[in-house]
Amino acid sequence: MRTVIADKRWAEKYPEIGTGPVSAEPLISPEHFELDRENIFRRTWLNIGRVEEVPNPGDYIAKDLAMCRASVLIIRGRDGAVRGFHNVCSHRGNKLVWDEKGTCKGTLTCGFHAWAYNTRGELTWVPDEENFFDLPKCDLGLTPVHTEVFEGFIFIHLAERPPESLRAYLGGVADQLEGGGFGELALTARYKVDEHANWKIALDAQNELYHLPFQHRRTIPKFCVLKDGQFTRLLDVRLFNHHSMYSSDPPDDRVGPATERLAARFSVAETEHRLPRIGSFDFYTIFPNMALLLFRGVSHDFYMSYNFWPQAVDRTDWDIKLYFRPAENAGQRVGQEYFKCLLRDLLQEDATAHEQIHIGLASRAKKELYFQDEEMQIRYFHTVLERFYAEAPPYSLGGPTERREGEGAR
Amino acid sequence: MSASTLPAEFADLEPFIDWALATEQERTGQRLASSMEDIQAFYDRMSARVEAVMAYLNALPLDALPPEAERLFHLSLSLMEVANAVEMFQNPAVINGFDVRRFAPVEDV
Repeated sequence: MRTVIADKRWAEKYPEIGTGPVSAEPLISPEHFELDRENIFRRTWLNIGRVEEVPNPGDYIAKDLAMCRASVLIIRGRDGAVRGFHNVCSHRGNKLVWDEKGTCKGTLTCGFHAWAYNTRGELTWVPDEENFFDLPKCDLGLTPVHTEVFEGFIFIHLAERPPESLRAYLGGVADQLEGGGFGELALTARYKVDEHANWKIALDAQNELYHLPFQHRRTIPKFCVLKDGQFTRLLDVRLFNHHSMYSSDPPDDRVGPATERLAARFSVAETEHRLPRIGSFDFYTIFPNMALLLFRGVSHDFYMSYNFWPQAVDRTDWDIKLYFRPAENAGQRVGQEYFKCLLRDLLQEDATAHEQIHIGLASRAKKELYFQDEEMQIRYFHTVLERFYAEAPPYSLGGPTERREGEGAR
Repeated sequence: MSASTLPAEFADLEPFIDWALATEQERTGQRLASSMEDIQAFYDRMSARVEAVMAYLNALPLDALPPEAERLFHLSLSLMEVANAVEMFQNPAVINGFDVRRFAPVEDV
């Protein structure tokens, strides 16, 4: 066992984050939700998907981002490059692609009047073009959206000029995950959860393990090292420029239920494949709305991603994706099914709780949140929120960009 | 279904053939629509046989299973589906679980 069972280690490691109560208002107020929109979602890199979702030239995904009042199209060009555009036709602003994913033979055609674009976003065909008035066709391509890829994760930035590259934005997270081999795993399950809760309530609730022996007393009460057999102790907490990571190991004597032990035996492979983990379970919060969860598997590690997409102050689409290394035989596939069903069932416990927390906080009976040392990473998330909220004037799309300085990775 | 839907050596699993379902959505649906007695009976028999089932299936190519073997494979996936109902909840559904209609598998991959 590598975990040190001691109190208040993380406050000692990061004394500047403080220890006092934190305002609950950002989790429920419509004013903060507007700040989330203007100061955060329009000025940070947002993960839209993975390159495996657009494997071939002409493949695309499209996503409506209610929070950004935008619809974004990601398409792989004939040259193999992945590009992002506003999913909006240049003619009269119709949404170009209506389905969430698809493939085209080099041309995307608007359903309204059949204006057509190639995979580079250039306008290639306008029906009855002669009847327009000096149409500047070369200038009427799709509006590009800054799109960069890290280890197969596709991110977009809606600012006219992003203040920093995706690599710089990810900072210490990228240092840790670079070369991680994520592309060797495949999407095996995906859930879309329609939650009646604020996106930060949902994210905060996932961003700690303190709750495991209690909220998950039926499912995974002994998943992590415990003090006195009941209170979690993390292996590590790391705070990056905007992001955070916490890591945990299971206790050496943890014995799972009978079917878990069967599934573990079925999961044995001849080769090992490991992700760049720190503990047996690492949880990254990638600001603002993404989490990346790395799990130690028997022979092959696996990972999950969460994207919390705000729909309204009390409404969130929680997009859950689970990636396994492709199974070589039925036993490995059945083993994956066990871990998938376990994660799904315990996340259903969480999703219920997110809504109950929203009801509780929305009452404003409690104005402050109290975080213990094992919840340091949530406290830090709120610190980062406040940092973005404080940056006036609110940023607007197409407006002047300001360069962020002095925020190097720690 | 006929009595010969599974490989001969697994004929004892025929009474549970309704659990041979190809998609997660179907397997979850069957779990939620079943009584705990039925789930327990399937769990008990399938748990006792699943290691023999895996030895049988692992000798075959996963992406080209014959229909009888594929049903056996789907029965094994259903065991994974119901395991938590037996081992964790003693109830078909997740206790305090979320409305499954709002927690939907997007793609059964």
